[in-house]
Amino acid sequence: MSYEGTTVPRRDSPAGECDYCGHPFPTTDRLVLHKGLEHPQELDADEEDAFISARADEEDELRTLRLKALGALVLLYFGFLMLYAIVA
Amino acid sequence: MPSSPDSDTNSGARREGHTESGPESRLHNWVVSNTKLRLLVQFVTWVSVLTLFTETVAAGNGMTLSKQPRDTLAIPRWLYLATGGATIGASALLASFVTDRAFIRYLHSWSFPGPTIDDWRTPIVWIGRGLGIVVLGLAVYLGVTGPQLPTASFTILVTFVVVRAGLPMLTYLGGNLWPVLNPWRGIVSLLPTGYRTYPEELARWPAVGGLLLLVWIEVVFPVSTIPSTLSIVILGYSVVTIAGAVLVGPNAWFGNADPLSVLFRFFGAVAPVKRRDGKLTVKLPGSDLTDSDLITDTSDVAFVIALIWELTYSGFITTQTGAATIEALASLSNIGVGAVQIRAILIYTLLFVSGYVVFFAAYWYAGVLSRRRTGTYITAKRIAFRFAPSLLAIAAGYHLAHYTGLAVSLSPALGMAIVSPLSPPANPLTLSPPGWFEGLSIAYVLVGHLLAIWAAHATAYELFSSRLVAIRSQYPFIIVMIGYTVISLWILSLPGATPPYLP
Ligand SMILES: [Zn+2]
Repeated sequence: MSYEGTTVPRRDSPAGECDYCGHPFPTTDRLVLHKGLEHPQELDADEEDAFISARADEEDELRTLRLKALGALVLLYFGFLMLYAIVA
Repeated sequence: MPSSPDSDTNSGARREGHTESGPESRLHNWVVSNTKLRLLVQFVTWVSVLTLFTETVAAGNGMTLSKQPRDTLAIPRWLYLATGGATIGASALLASFVTDRAFIRYLHSWSFPGPTIDDWRTPIVWIGRGLGIVVLGLAVYLGVTGPQLPTASFTILVTFVVVRAGLPMLTYLGGNLWPVLNPWRGIVSLLPTGYRTYPEELARWPAVGGLLLLVWIEVVFPVSTIPSTLSIVILGYSVVTIAGAVLVGPNAWFGNADPLSVLFRFFGAVAPVKRRDGKLTVKLPGSDLTDSDLITDTSDVAFVIALIWELTYSGFITTQTGAATIEALASLSNIGVGAVQIRAILIYTLLFVSGYVVFFAAYWYAGVLSRRRTGTYITAKRIAFRFAPSLLAIAAGYHLAHYTGLAVSLSPALGMAIVSPLSPPANPLTLSPPGWFEGLSIAYVLVGHLLAIWAAHATAYELFSSRLVAIRSQYPFIIVMIGYTVISLWILSLPGATPPYLP
């Protein structure tokens, strides 16, 4: 990945920059995830632990998101089932 | 229910594994999961759920349409359109269940190496381009001297059945053969070239202009009905192409400025067969649509949108609603000056340009929204560049939906015109495609969109480090794709007509 196509909005102050490629990130967890994904060989033990815990948090949030997506799918399915029952 | 790829049991098992190994491999295991079995299970679940879902909706839509004449749907039109739009939305929701980076990367890098072809390339190119030059010469010559009946004319049949319909299909379903067949490249290779360097800042804009101009000519001039007119257009195209390629060199011209070459290159990105390092390689269809080097300039995005808009537009003006719109606008614009034909051409042009601007702006705005909603520092432009290749799958689906019928119905006539180009039968055989072709068209549009949804999902995962951001970044693009689908399905459901006021 190259990071030439990035700009930081004027009012914003980045949470940090990647030590290895200089890419700025708006939040710490995105920076930590980026380091673990893009530079796995270069991390020290602290950065590694931070990555693993950020990864676990992300996993939790993804689980919530999946539940919401499932709910939306079910709603969509039954919504259309009812529409078809009424109209067709 | 589609099982979540990173479920509790899986991550639990992986966590146990980590305690035994060192910190490096612990991290490595987090990043790249190693079990092939897991990948297989996920792949099967995902594919079966998606297939089941799309087949139900596509078949449902297709069946209701095919049993009825085109203008009487079994279900109200709004419900048919809503179902199509919901299919795209639902598949995007389904795609959000696939959150395993390793699995996505695995799918997109899967390939099957084929035979080495580089030893054969030179003779194949000579034969292919030689054939191309012969067909080009015959097309120009026979358009003037041959029969003037469209369905008996070698020129019209080769241009529309082969170059407009068949070759793009071959390109996105198989692989890009155009560099081998390109007759103009064959001619230019015999001439001295490269008197100027191609201005880099022009990028692919000449190709965008060329594509829009070609479609405009196709709409406004009788190129599909009068062979001699088509001959003149082909001759004009040849002069411009050869002059341009001689001036800036063939690589620069056919890579940037020639609309046909750029079109085939982009459609070739969807194809399963690729040439990699001198070898033919089979990949999963659309798996190269996540490549970051496919779209490198705003003009590339403009070209891809032009492909989608061109097919939407030519679909629309050949429906009764489209014809009625043109007629209404023509009578509205009647201010006492100018013949109705001239005003009609202006209206066709205005509709063509304004619709294109709307389609482009909608896509570009999705990039801006995507940046704003995720708070990322990646520019809207770069987001738009990265998601644009996925639109090529949509363009391919539209093309297949619009041109399968034409290719099938005129293929016997093409055969006759090739066998005896100078004395074809007075009444050439044309097939009328069966009714279920309509249902098939709807399926093509939906499948193209589903591939695009998947490509966008995979692209987002490559672009963003946080998977939540990756999922949220897709929402604006999914809404634009739903819009494109609904418009396209609407056009497919309208009864056909001849565009009014045109020669
Ligand atoms: Zn970095």
